[in-house]
Amino acid sequence: MATREEQKRRTRQRLIEVALERFAERGIGATRTVDVARAAGVAHGTVFAHFPTRDDLVTAVIEAFAEQLIGRLNELNDRGADVREVLAAHLEGLIEHEGLYAHLVTEGPMLPRGARTTMLAIQSVVSHHLYAAAEKGREAGELRPMPQHLLFNTWLGLIHHYLVNQELFAPNESALARHGGELLDHYMGLLAP
Amino acid sequence: MDKTCIACGMPMNKPEEHASGDTAKAFCFHCAREDGSMRDYDEVLVGMTQFMVRSQGIDESAAKDAAAGMMAQLPAWKDR
Repeated sequence: MATREEQKRRTRQRLIEVALERFAERGIGATRTVDVARAAGVAHGTVFAHFPTRDDLVTAVIEAFAEQLIGRLNELNDRGADVREVLAAHLEGLIEHEGLYAHLVTEGPMLPRGARTTMLAIQSVVSHHLYAAAEKGREAGELRPMPQHLLFNTWLGLIHHYLVNQELFAPNESALARHGGELLDHYMGLLAP
Repeated sequence: MDKTCIACGMPMNKPEEHASGDTAKAFCFHCAREDGSMRDYDEVLVGMTQFMVRSQGIDESAAKDAAAGMMAQLPAWKDR
């Protein structure tokens, strides 16, 4: 039989998974904690027993989404991956949770403070890995130099434009799955010396 | 291993990511001074702010605000 601690951990995990699905489908602001509780089959108060505020729940969902992505980027960095590999892994991680990520982008300024801060921290880590890979390429004479923030913001601006306008670029499908390869090729072209 | 730095929140997956490469240390090498002690609040705040400014080009006061928000959640500064 599961211990009380184990049961608690499972409920927390379930709430995060259900909230992630709801946020991805309907948006973060449009999802009420009571909807998450119902979908998870728990009492409304249970949500607050695990996440004292709504912000805590949103932040936990963002952290869950980012954990795998950042883990993968860390591994790539450790083995000296190049820019194309880092960005392909970034795209892959975003495609996996594209519904959620698109809402994080479009609802960004309206998100609770803790969630916004967490997103900022995650973006800085992605930028850090991208720059580390780009620096190796620059040293090898394969890429032209670019300030870290512009290297990152240029990439992010490009993919966010497609995400925000997903209905125009890829109606009823993943904008990044459909256009990611083309965007990556284009971006690599911009970095050529 | 899989610990998180109590001072800046960075995951520490490898021994060398801990201060002085010592896995018993609860803070990371970024948050360690040369003598091995942990940096104070203001030093860590500056480091995290600069990391965000450099990596994303955001305004320094906005970055400082976000860094302070992150640090408020971390064990080293929670009761500050």
